[in-house]
Amino acid sequence: MAYSEKLIDHYENPRNIGSLDKNSEDVGTGLVGAPACGDVMKLQIKVGADGLIEDAKFKTFGCGSAIASSSLVTEWVKGKTIDEAGTIKNTDIAKHLALPPVKIHCSVLAEDAIKAAIADYRAKTAKVDDPAKSTGKDESQAAAE
Amino acid sequence: MNHFARLGLPAALDLEPAALDRAYFALQRQWHPDRFVAKPPEERAKASTEAAALNDAYRTLKDPLSRAVYFAELKGVELPADGKTIDDPELLMEAMEAREELHEAGSAEAVHALAAKAREDMKNSLARLGSLFLRDDKPAIRKALLRLRYLDKFAEEARARRMNLERSSA
Repeated sequence: MAYSEKLIDHYENPRNIGSLDKNSEDVGTGLVGAPACGDVMKLQIKVGADGLIEDAKFKTFGCGSAIASSSLVTEWVKGKTIDEAGTIKNTDIAKHLALPPVKIHCSVLAEDAIKAAIADYRAKTAKVDDPAKSTGKDESQAAAE
Repeated sequence: MNHFARLGLPAALDLEPAALDRAYFALQRQWHPDRFVAKPPEERAKASTEAAALNDAYRTLKDPLSRAVYFAELKGVELPADGKTIDDPELLMEAMEAREELHEAGSAEAVHALAAKAREDMKNSLARLGSLFLRDDKPAIRKALLRLRYLDKFAEEARARRMNLERSSA
């Protein structure tokens, strides 16, 4: 199977591998998996005070297409608002990397991962903004550990 | 016809491997293409369809995990199909940490120890499935099978990693 140059580049030189502090209030973490192939993907975003995504990191255990898809997404979301980042579609990822049809599901995983990271970030900021809930925050965090 | 019925076996989570082999080889002889060379085309076609279905049934039921997944489907437990994602944080965090540990294991011995632990875990988890089916606890069955899928993948990755490490140290 012939893979595109962009895909091979992202696979061989993945961007933004690593982790951000998942307990930090300005970090959203998305953890998703594709059980049929045993892939697991973690994608994190750090949102600045201006509402723009200032950093993104990923860690993926899976095939080359899953690694390339998550690497590409971390590159794309930087500098975007979370609303903009939420519009990324798996078809855009698949098209950019020229994924073969059997690997389309890897781009679905990356789309679901960024959506999950955004949802996690939103849930955190909603908790902080809501004074009624912020008092019980420490206990709920301790319980979630 | 389901795979168990095709092999003339009762649908069950646990199968005696020898009984499965016996049933398979007897039926395989019965539908072997060599016995149909002189037969009319419809019969030849039927024999080849039967033989293919038989192989499929045997492959599915031979491996304990694929048999458990198949048995669960018969009982109405749906697992995510190809390309479908899950977001169970507990399960995925465990899978992620296990894969990180494997990635960081620096010697064939360390990888071997991790693989042995995963195999033991799989064996115990498969053994516990029976009681979940007795209670018909579908969410628990689903979760246990998903976890087993990740353990299976871990064991596969561990084998590959061990071969790499052994090759580079040879």
